[in-house]
Amino acid sequence: MSALAHLHRPATIEEAVRLLAAGDGERVRLLAGGATLVAMMNAELVDPAELVSLAAIAELRGIRALADGGLRIGAMTRHRETAAEARLAGAAAVLREAAARIANPVVRNMGTIGGSIAFADPAADYPPALVAADAAVEIAGRRGRRQVPAREFFVDWFATALAPGEMVTAVLLAPPAPGRGSYDKLCRVSGDFAIASVALSVAWRDGACERVGLAVGGCGPRPLHLDEADALLRSGRLGEAAARRAGELLAAAADPLEDVRASAAYRRRVIPRMVERAVAQARAQLEANR
Amino acid sequence: MTTPDAAPVVGQSVPRLEVREKLTGRAQYVADLYRPRMLHGAILGSPHAHARIKSYDVSAARAAPGVHCVLTGEDFGDHRMGAFIKDEHAIAKGKVRYVGEPVAVVAAETEAQARAAARLVEVEYEELPAILTPAAALAPGAAVIHEELASYFKVFDAVCGGNVCSRTELAEGDVERGFRESDLFVEGRYRTQPQAHVSLEPCGALAEVDAAGRVTLWSANQSVFRVQANVCESLGLPMSRLRCLTPRVGAGFGNKMEAHVQPIVVKLALATGRPVRLVLTREEDFEIVRARHPFEVRVRTGVKRDGTFVAREVEVLLDGGAYADDSPGVLGYSLLMARGPYRIPHTRCRGTLVYTNKLRFGAFRGFGNPQVTFATETQIDEIAAQLGIDPVEIRRRNALGADDRWFGGQALASNGLPECIDVAERESGWNARAAARAAPGRRRGLGFACTAHIGGLLGTGAIVRMLEDGTVVLNTGAVDIGQGSDTVLTQIVAEALKLPLDQVSVASPDTDGSPYNWGTTASRVTYTTGRAVLAAAREVERQVKAHAAEMLECAEADLELLPGGAVGLKGVPGKTLPFVAISARAHWRKGGPIVGTNTWVFDRPTVDPKRAVATGLPFPQIGVYSFGAVAAEVEVDEVTGQVAVLRAWTVADVGRAINRASVEGQLEGAFAQGLGFALFEALVFDGPRLANPTLMDYKVPTSLEVPYELHAHIVEHPEPDGPFGAKGVGEIGINAVAAAIANAVAAATGARLRELPLTGERVLGALAAAAANTG
Amino acid sequence: MSTRRPLALRVNRAEHELFAAPGDTLLTALRDALGFTGAKRGCNQGACGACTVLVDDEPVRACLTLAHECAGREIVTIEGAAGAAQALQAAFEEAGAVQCGFCTPGMILTAAAMLERTPRPSADEVRAGLSGNLCRCSGYRKIVDAVLRAAETGAP
Ligand SMILES: Cc1cc2nc3c(=O)[nH]c(=O)nc-3n(C[C@H](O)[C@H](O)[C@H](O)COP(=O)(O)OP(=O)(O)OC[C@H]3O[C@@H](n4cnc5c(N)ncnc54)[C@H](O)[C@@H]3O)c2cc1C
Ligand code: FES
Ligand code: FES
Repeated sequence: MSALAHLHRPATIEEAVRLLAAGDGERVRLLAGGATLVAMMNAELVDPAELVSLAAIAELRGIRALADGGLRIGAMTRHRETAAEARLAGAAAVLREAAARIANPVVRNMGTIGGSIAFADPAADYPPALVAADAAVEIAGRRGRRQVPAREFFVDWFATALAPGEMVTAVLLAPPAPGRGSYDKLCRVSGDFAIASVALSVAWRDGACERVGLAVGGCGPRPLHLDEADALLRSGRLGEAAARRAGELLAAAADPLEDVRASAAYRRRVIPRMVERAVAQARAQLEANR
Repeated sequence: MTTPDAAPVVGQSVPRLEVREKLTGRAQYVADLYRPRMLHGAILGSPHAHARIKSYDVSAARAAPGVHCVLTGEDFGDHRMGAFIKDEHAIAKGKVRYVGEPVAVVAAETEAQARAAARLVEVEYEELPAILTPAAALAPGAAVIHEELASYFKVFDAVCGGNVCSRTELAEGDVERGFRESDLFVEGRYRTQPQAHVSLEPCGALAEVDAAGRVTLWSANQSVFRVQANVCESLGLPMSRLRCLTPRVGAGFGNKMEAHVQPIVVKLALATGRPVRLVLTREEDFEIVRARHPFEVRVRTGVKRDGTFVAREVEVLLDGGAYADDSPGVLGYSLLMARGPYRIPHTRCRGTLVYTNKLRFGAFRGFGNPQVTFATETQIDEIAAQLGIDPVEIRRRNALGADDRWFGGQALASNGLPECIDVAERESGWNARAAARAAPGRRRGLGFACTAHIGGLLGTGAIVRMLEDGTVVLNTGAVDIGQGSDTVLTQIVAEALKLPLDQVSVASPDTDGSPYNWGTTASRVTYTTGRAVLAAAREVERQVKAHAAEMLECAEADLELLPGGAVGLKGVPGKTLPFVAISARAHWRKGGPIVGTNTWVFDRPTVDPKRAVATGLPFPQIGVYSFGAVAAEVEVDEVTGQVAVLRAWTVADVGRAINRASVEGQLEGAFAQGLGFALFEALVFDGPRLANPTLMDYKVPTSLEVPYELHAHIVEHPEPDGPFGAKGVGEIGINAVAAAIANAVAAATGARLRELPLTGERVLGALAAAAANTG
Repeated sequence: MSTRRPLALRVNRAEHELFAAPGDTLLTALRDALGFTGAKRGCNQGACGACTVLVDDEPVRACLTLAHECAGREIVTIEGAAGAAQALQAAFEEAGAVQCGFCTPGMILTAAAMLERTPRPSADEVRAGLSGNLCRCSGYRKIVDAVLRAAETGAP
């Protein structure tokens, strides 16, 4: 029987944080879209005593432009909204494409970016996309707000940089740069979690790569990302040899599990192949732009 | 739905009679039924695959809030059920034999209370070695799963012992001679995986006891009569003490044919005196009901250089899981189908079915046929490739013709196989297939496969009763599980009596009032029950005419049925009598109410002893063959090995389509289920435990995996004694799908896979191997 | 320990008063407290779509939505189907898109919301739009055709 005794609906982030701090992380939980949390409650995997619904906090909703031209995606922004966001273009399109590949239309209408990244399922779609785009995560706690780069936010299997009592308030992106963002997801059927995924974000100017971010999902405790691979691709101008080498490096660094979706060996095997394909497609677009 | 002029209704795509109720949310499935003062049941499952139960402590559970009763194996008598071998108690008793097997059950005021209390039951176990594979089951010195197997009651002459549940053999001709006479033989080993039914509605039941102690039971089922038999056998109840009814059923593909929680729920209702409902969670539905058997198949086929099939030897090994359930039937049936719809004069098929400590495997659409067909139909492509003969051509040359007989010796009264092959070949553009071009990084291929299936078996009945106003009610006891039999059987009555559809109603199956019907399974309702329905309707016609002859003072032979519910004197337009006048007379003055009944049992022997020898075959009398062919076009992603089905053509000879849309619906739905079987569906065991008993982890095809270009084509070669020529369609559509897809993958890649499912992982591996071979 | 609290829900354009525990899902409230059993439970995990209902015109999984989160919102179940959903009901009947019917309510409501947004979808758009609603009976072909047919008849 559910132990749940209270469902709070605070109107501000500060109040949410205060309610959250009253618990120990197990007893009091934040409720966002519920697509993961309520499913876990139904399966009797978690049994919180209090829930803090984020639904009434206006500040957490929607996507808006920042003063520097960057984008702020509120934690309660639904996957559907992110998938439809036209400003997520160029190098930032990786996020839009990832959002569009999450689950199915109805779940995308429920799940939020904050809930997804806070849960940090290693097979989820946002984490590698955020790492590739080099986004930052805005966090609120009793001592105010802080920002953590996405590359440091995901720390282990289902573990993030969130300290007890902290919550995600937004995802922050640098001003959109011309370029290409792509998200390739390998899964058994549409809407399944990824066996492996490749997020690629390339910013270019005048035919030259300015910034490359490449991350692999589903193949380890957190999104797989190597500065060395990014640098190789940038300096190698997305060339075939650089792509091959980057893929090999990532495959070697991967720490995939064997699970019901696929074996670890298959995951290792497809990483370089998917990386090469993603890079080849970006290269083709870059060349066409020249 | 009114057809005022009573135009022919057989052959029309009449919408389901109950469609509005399903469209508006009013259809009631078992979980939608609520009774006053109803309690809720919950199950505690075994954590062990194989263990002796030493003791129970139910005190904490009994004391938990809302709890009315807690039962364990000690509360159940020593009664066993089973369709073929009576080896299963209603709940684990003495031993547990698979993880999840119910060991204790609770009834409480709420579902949550029942579930919480079930977890408080303490059971002490002594673990036994878990037997998880057929090889382990057959190993010398293996732990024995059913120590009392020899003493179990069996409905057939089972060849069993140790962990062997059943051995079956079927042979025709002289297989050694056949191989000697062959120019070439091809041999292969094939494996198929366990597949879950995933009927969208989970299994459940609701039981209520009346003041006299008699029980009424509603449940998700495919046969109220099998429910009645299973519950009464496993609880030691006289059948007269149990009435089984059916609400709407959210599909059953074999999983709801034999018992699931019905015996437990009846026991809880008897113990508490209150109505009790228990609906399984999706996880429990995966873990404790049943699934499709994994098969290991060895096939060896000998051929002449011109492609003529000469000999075949098949050996299958089935993992039956912890209880026999329908497994002996699946084994026997798979052997009967292993020669396929071809002439192969010398064939020998043998099979072994073993017990293991896993969920029971049982009936699932196709009943063993999809597994052997995957093996035999992919092997035919290998033969064709070796001989340089077109895959369709080699099938056509060897296809059973009008005068040929099925493996075992049965005559084929109708055979549309050659036409099925022609239609699938033509519609798929088979001969232009080389032109198919794939995008860069992808490869395309078209694959082909054939199959057949039976639809006639066991007992059935029908009652057609004319009401006072001349309308009629049909009562067959056949459960419509969503496939549309209520509508089809109504169409048969309406056609026979020339009544508009809305003047025929269908009684819901009820073991108190319906004639016996073995069940909605084995593609049998339209043919088997349809025959009884037509005969009962003809009996009504006879009685109606007898009355009319007296009323009009003429000979019965001069009368005819007129559209809209009337009898008329042939050639005399004014001389007519509406059914209402005849029925009123029968009810109130003369002769008695008009009731047409018919019952029969399928009695053509499966095997002709002059032609074939069989041992351990558990169904002496089945038959009536439908035929089918499938073509599928696939695209393989070279990067990941993943396979997508782009287009498909599924063709079946169903004798006569009583309802075309329903037949198409069966073929399309079966294709989708076969696609899942071919490409990704698989129950994964992590040791003894199911690793993916959820819909997050076990994936079935969505609307994006099934191609929109899924074309169902109907071929009609009437079965002489079928109702309006009809024969079965429920299963034929799934059998050849995996083989057609595997053949398409081979055509696309040159890689031949002999194990299902054809995951990206396996295909990528095979692609690499094929590249290494050629390069 | 969870106690049931009063809750007012607006379902199918009418106010309903009920008691629900804080952890009760909308699906439980609709089915057990209000008798709207048209929303089906196929998995309770968000994976099958049989429980799909509309909340403020958007499709959600009733099994993953807490009942108390829905106060003040407009809930539509299959029992209250109107507009596009009614056109879909007719089209499903004509196209033979209903077999066992267990997926049907969720399919129709999901498709109705999709047609609001995309009134003239292509077959592939329909397939994508319905990809979170499982049907084990039909193979989807007739369902997709029914939605296309409803889009045609519903077009201005
Ligand atoms: C059928 C199905 C299929 C799915 N498929 C995919 C898929 O393919 N790819 C994919 O990426 N995801 C998938 N998901 C997960 C989906 O994206 C979820 O929506 C997401 O993981 C959780 O988001 P939510 O808003 O629903 O969070 P909730 O379920 O409400 O919360 C999830 C967890 O995060 C915590 N939390 C929520 N918000 C915050 C916050 N702002 N700060 C800190 N902690 C917070 C909660 O306390 C909880 O522990 C699927 C889910 C379902 C049901
Ligand atoms: S019951 Fe809600 S999605 Fe299956
Ligand atoms: S009609 Fe049965 S699940 Fe769709």
